[in-house]
Amino acid sequence: MSGKRGLVLGSIVAVALGELAVAWLALHPNVDEGYRAYYIEQSTTCLDKPVGGQYPMGQTVSFLPDDQAGARQLRVCGWDGPAGDGTHSIGTSSMLRFAVSGPTDGLILRLMLTAITAPDQRDQRIVLSGNGVAMGEATIPDSVTTTLDFHVPDAAFASTPGKLDVVIDYPTATEMTPRDSNTHYRSIKLLGVQLRRPDQHASEGPQEDPVALRNHAGPDQPIAP
Amino acid sequence: MVAEAADLPRAGGRAGRIIPLVAIPLGFAVLGFLLRLAAYLQAGWHPQLATYPEGLCRWDCQWYVNLVNGGYDTYPAPTLLDAGNWAFFPLFPAIVGGIHALTALPVMDVASAVSMLFAGLAAIVAWPLFERNLRAYTLYAAFLLCGPFSIYFTTFYTEVLFVLLTNCTLLALKRSRYVTAGAFTGLLSATRIVGVFMVLAIVVQYLLDYRKRGGTLRELPRELWRQPEIILAVLLAPVGLFAYMAYLHFYMGDALAFSHVQRAWGRVPGNPLIYLWIGLTDLPDSGFWPSTNQWLGLAAVFGLGMTVLLALQRRYAVALFCLMSLVVPLAAGMASMLRFVVALSPVVLPAIAFLARWRWLFVVSLLAFIASDYFFTVGWLEGWLALV
Repeated sequence: MSGKRGLVLGSIVAVALGELAVAWLALHPNVDEGYRAYYIEQSTTCLDKPVGGQYPMGQTVSFLPDDQAGARQLRVCGWDGPAGDGTHSIGTSSMLRFAVSGPTDGLILRLMLTAITAPDQRDQRIVLSGNGVAMGEATIPDSVTTTLDFHVPDAAFASTPGKLDVVIDYPTATEMTPRDSNTHYRSIKLLGVQLRRPDQHASEGPQEDPVALRNHAGPDQPIAP
Repeated sequence: MVAEAADLPRAGGRAGRIIPLVAIPLGFAVLGFLLRLAAYLQAGWHPQLATYPEGLCRWDCQWYVNLVNGGYDTYPAPTLLDAGNWAFFPLFPAIVGGIHALTALPVMDVASAVSMLFAGLAAIVAWPLFERNLRAYTLYAAFLLCGPFSIYFTTFYTEVLFVLLTNCTLLALKRSRYVTAGAFTGLLSATRIVGVFMVLAIVVQYLLDYRKRGGTLRELPRELWRQPEIILAVLLAPVGLFAYMAYLHFYMGDALAFSHVQRAWGRVPGNPLIYLWIGLTDLPDSGFWPSTNQWLGLAAVFGLGMTVLLALQRRYAVALFCLMSLVVPLAAGMASMLRFVVALSPVVLPAIAFLARWRWLFVVSLLAFIASDYFFTVGWLEGWLALV
């Protein structure tokens, strides 16, 4: 065997073994359940992300562009934007996270939202659960803006005290253009959220968000009480 | 009238031949730089001399700049977006990032200079591919550095390195240097995912050459054992891709993240012909000017048409490479098809050779390229989506 031919054969073996090793790595990803579900098995359109959910109980958080910092504390997955008309749901479900301290009995989640204008003008149905426990469902007519209240069952905190993961499923989410990916399906546009105790003031809209108020007033202007 | 092939003058020796080969791309590089500057001052966002060429950096270019500045995303991505930057292949950003780290010059200054250098080199490598036809060479240099799509080849897109490495591979195949072709393809596969398909061209070209030498299928295994270089070439071809996969695995856990992340970009695998049909029939909302999808569809049709022509000319190796390089992206939708087609050398080189065949057509094409450099750059800056 000539030296050159030996070198070629040796290189073939070395490169082939290296590539086989990488192929083996490709078949055995070292990823968590959320990554696997979203990217590999494609069993969800909602990629769970490490969001803290810091939230002062009873406060309104605007999901319009005026309080992105506040909204980003809560939005875990399935959201796009915000655009001028709210933060759009993308995919077939979205998640919001609230860190909850103190008593959790009788909590009420208020959502201020608009149904998208669907190509076929269909109504949008949403189904809510908190920490896996059903919270209720609602149907919003095409393009309509509304405010909805959902009671959070006490059972939701039985296994995960101090945290409320609200999953909003969209059974009627729709593709906006032909052959859209289901990761881009649309259903609602969220304007604002509030989680409150029964004795707290019910929000009247995203305009009650104190950060949004500060943004609207300007950096040096006092906020009217 | 068909002109004779225009070659460089023999007088003046080696230097006399090399100087024009360098001067032509250099001249177009300077002209293109000034034309795009004029377009930027006309249509850029808050245009100033100091923000050129940074101001030309739009769309994927900005992802590449972020990649150089911050490296690949971990999981979860620091931005908490679903779309991590793993879909952007590493070789070109690594080259720019390396020079940026050494010189501390702004990323876009480095990227633009390296892109123009690579575009010039791509033209020079194409010189023997054009059979030393000076008009074709001149037109090709203008196309890359001062033509309608120069924005891809002179800012921060991987297309310029893809073109350079494709031309190098084509030249190696033309000279039957399979291992060299395999090595260039190894780099190509670290530049864009479709680069790996050049391995098919290497195999087909080897088999065609083998048959031309009188080889038979029965004797092939013995020939491969006697001269195993082609096996090494085939194994080298995906080395860049495998290296990137290994990096991704050890860095963030998923060697196939570059593919899996397409889900977050909303790409749905489907029938390329259906995507093409949807694109071509996506009529404009008003007027006769084709819609963005129609432009992208027309670009794909041009690329596929040229691929058929290559096959009819019995250039099966490059035809197969073109087919795969067009059909695979098309199977995920119409996005960026224009960019993919104009960066596909086996499609562009014969088109340029055709335009250079007659002197009058050469002159018209050259003037059109130069004029359209300005107007397409304005279109780029004003958000003409077909260019994205």
